Amino acid sequence: EELKFANFLAGGHPYTTGTFEPFAEMVKEKSGGDVTVRLYNGGELGPGPVEQYSRALDGVADLSVSLAGYTANTFPLTLVAELPGVLNEETGTQTLWDHIDMLKGEYRRVQLVSLWSSAKNYIFSKDKPVRTLDDVKGMKIRVPSRNTGLMVEAWGATPVSMPVSEIYNSLQTGVIDAAMIDGTGVNAFKLGEVSKYLTIGIDSTNSPFFILMNRDAFKSLSDKDQKAVLDAGREASQLGQDTQLRVAAEGIKAFAGMPGHEVITPTPDAAAAFNKASASIIPEVLKATKGAQDYYDALKAE
Amino acid sequence: MTELQIGILGFVALFGLMVMRTPVAFSMLMVGFFGTWIVEGLRRAGALMLTESYSAVANYSLIVVPMFILLGNISSEAGFSRGLYDAAHAWVGRFRGGLATASVLGCAAFSAVSGSSVATAVTIGKVALPEMKRLGYGDGLSTGSIAAGGTLGFLIPPSTGFVIYAILTEESIGRLFMAGILPGALMMLLFIAAIWIVTLRDPAQGPKGHAVPLAERFTLLFRALPLLIVIVVSIGGIYTGIFTPVEASGVGAALTVLLAFGTRAMSLSGFKRAVMDTVRTSAMLYMIVIGANVLNPFLALTNIPDALGHALEALGIGRYGTLIVILLSYVVLGMFLDGLAMLVITVPIYYPVIVALGFDPIWFGVIAVIVIEMGMITPPVGLNVFVVKNVARSVPLATVFQGVTPFLIAMIVCILLIILFPDIALIIPNSMFN
Amino acid sequence: MSVTHSKTLRSLSVITDRATHALSVVAGVLLLAMVVIIAWGVISRYFLGAPILGLNEIVQLNAVALAMLALPYATSSGVHVRADIFDRLIGWGGRFLGDILTRCLSILVLYHLTERAWYKAMDALEFGDTTNMLALPLWPFYALMAFGMGLCILVFAVQLITIIANRGAGDD
Ligand code: NA
Ligand code: NA
Repeated sequence: EELKFANFLAGGHPYTTGTFEPFAEMVKEKSGGDVTVRLYNGGELGPGPVEQYSRALDGVADLSVSLAGYTANTFPLTLVAELPGVLNEETGTQTLWDHIDMLKGEYRRVQLVSLWSSAKNYIFSKDKPVRTLDDVKGMKIRVPSRNTGLMVEAWGATPVSMPVSEIYNSLQTGVIDAAMIDGTGVNAFKLGEVSKYLTIGIDSTNSPFFILMNRDAFKSLSDKDQKAVLDAGREASQLGQDTQLRVAAEGIKAFAGMPGHEVITPTPDAAAAFNKASASIIPEVLKATKGAQDYYDALKAE
Repeated sequence: MTELQIGILGFVALFGLMVMRTPVAFSMLMVGFFGTWIVEGLRRAGALMLTESYSAVANYSLIVVPMFILLGNISSEAGFSRGLYDAAHAWVGRFRGGLATASVLGCAAFSAVSGSSVATAVTIGKVALPEMKRLGYGDGLSTGSIAAGGTLGFLIPPSTGFVIYAILTEESIGRLFMAGILPGALMMLLFIAAIWIVTLRDPAQGPKGHAVPLAERFTLLFRALPLLIVIVVSIGGIYTGIFTPVEASGVGAALTVLLAFGTRAMSLSGFKRAVMDTVRTSAMLYMIVIGANVLNPFLALTNIPDALGHALEALGIGRYGTLIVILLSYVVLGMFLDGLAMLVITVPIYYPVIVALGFDPIWFGVIAVIVIEMGMITPPVGLNVFVVKNVARSVPLATVFQGVTPFLIAMIVCILLIILFPDIALIIPNSMFN
Repeated sequence: MSVTHSKTLRSLSVITDRATHALSVVAGVLLLAMVVIIAWGVISRYFLGAPILGLNEIVQLNAVALAMLALPYATSSGVHVRADIFDRLIGWGGRFLGDILTRCLSILVLYHLTERAWYKAMDALEFGDTTNMLALPLWPFYALMAFGMGLCILVFAVQLITIIANRGAGDD
């Protein structure tokens, strides 16, 4: 059995080499060669991250990788995990899997194979350094998800939603003043070329990634092969987080090394002000979804 | 049968369907759907068709297509495009071949609001061809300059060619638009040089026109102002970064509608015509994108792009050798195929090869668009030639094809210059974005 | 062919022409709405300093509706780009067969697409699928897709009957 894996990222992307290719290897190994996974990189089975959920759901691909935030209304519980201060960057994926049963209701239509927390979204600002909450007031900031939009609003800034591919041009041309994205944006989207300041060290949202499998394709596998896929997926989750954190750290380091650039870590007082404003959105978000409070409490308990 | 063989068979079927008069968009849709059905079963084929059709139409970047088509249609209904030609005519008409030069200038200016070659050739052709006929211009030169000048619509931004290329490759539409400016200007100058050489050898082809008094020249230039404002705002807005391309297209369209009604240049029935034509043309283009979106995953499933890439590599003819093979294939396809169809069929195959060879993908977009423009005026199927022939009914088709020959040579010179000096295409986007 | 037959045929194509035209007028209104929305977005960002969150979602869904409502009209007015150089080569019989084949295959493909779009609409309704930022429901747009593609089938079917009855498309 050959499973088709839709990957919107390019063949040379760190995720492809560091997570998806090892995942394919593991599936083959664990299933004793019964099941193989073939990667279709660079959006060969359909471009862009947004429609990848549909591609697994409808069966264009057997497996696809995407971000829960792109179909926020389908995964409100999963996205509790992206809220500021909920997960620890280093242990986030482990925490997610410790409570994975609580998410069952959200994955009725597709089979969840992998899920990992990503590096935190930080502030890439074009030419105004962000050191305190006051600095950010009134700025137009690109946000990757609705929750991040709420957080940015709570800071007193104006959220602008746009796909990741448009950040570069929009920062360059001043359509936005800053962008929220994790450190991988430095190398993947060359954001160092269009922003001078990067503010880190505050509580912020992260953007959980997942690998999903088409239900029918999953059911058609034998019990042993299903287990092989799920085990490989669980291990790949950790690889996904490792890859993400490694590339994000490299990105931040590279940014700091660029002439005329500065990586800003706000003072403890300034960071506390950010974190307080960020945390203020949580009750409202939790109220909107049944079971969100319980899930939040479970994640925070770790 | 191997997957690769099925893929090749898919290509044969695609060609066969086109021979059997199936519209390009539906041919691609059919081969994509039935091909995937054969390789992967009905479930995946149906899913593919649904998801890709929807995501094609819901693509945010694609909004520039209806917007810019509307902009161009309103301009011609309001007579703004005629104003451009009249102004050019007043300034250069008195020189040898001046009306042909004015046609090329008019086409270039109209190209800055229209994304389509056909629209540009029709719009300027309707105004310029009777004028050239009256002054006794050679049929070849007059029709040739319009057919060729019209192709500028595809190169000078906005351009549906760049939009489709951007969507297929996920390159930035803004960058591609910016990359088209200098090559567009260069091509315009080369066209004018071609006119100059033709009339040098045979002055009867393009007699001098009357000199227009200076005051009147400025009056006419002033009358062309509305469209010049739109051009400055929309294309200038992208260049200076005030707008994203989608915003520029929307603001440009809104501005054109306001100017057209504000100057009382457009009737209500003209407005309706412009809107309805936009709706119809947009639907046609959306259908092509849908077809391409369904066909391409099928090609990927059968490994055709990989195999072709390896085959090109195996030729062992180096970077530029491979590039030339690719360009020649465009010339051959361009003899028969529609430009947009050519883009959607070839780009998924060639783009990875080009990137692997270390060429700049934006630069290749410009080159590809120019070779495709050549296809619009080469026999036997030259869309722009047919369009011009439709306006100048008394001129034999062969005369038009003869008339475009000097301009084809100008295009080849243009491509060679851009290959030798990639900065012609890249300097604007690079200086703007880096 | 009898006189009554040709009358029925003509009124059939008149009905589809009118219906598709009416829908395309709606598409025209959507087109103008889109111009206003995009221009308004720019104005509100630059002059009012308040970018509209999720504007792109409205524009995208608007585009889906526009395309799906306009597609039947485009199909019935025959604007789809076609390679016609081989028309002479394949002769009258080839053209006749080609025109029939084209319609039959188009109907078959679009039938599948219509069916899938309809199921997807029902699925999206059941699970409450929405857009990301504004939480606009997606099911009406899949339903519109089913509707637009379904109407294209009707257009092709009428063309098919007309071609067979007239022994040719009459567009050559
Ligand atoms: Na143009
Ligand atoms: Na040609």
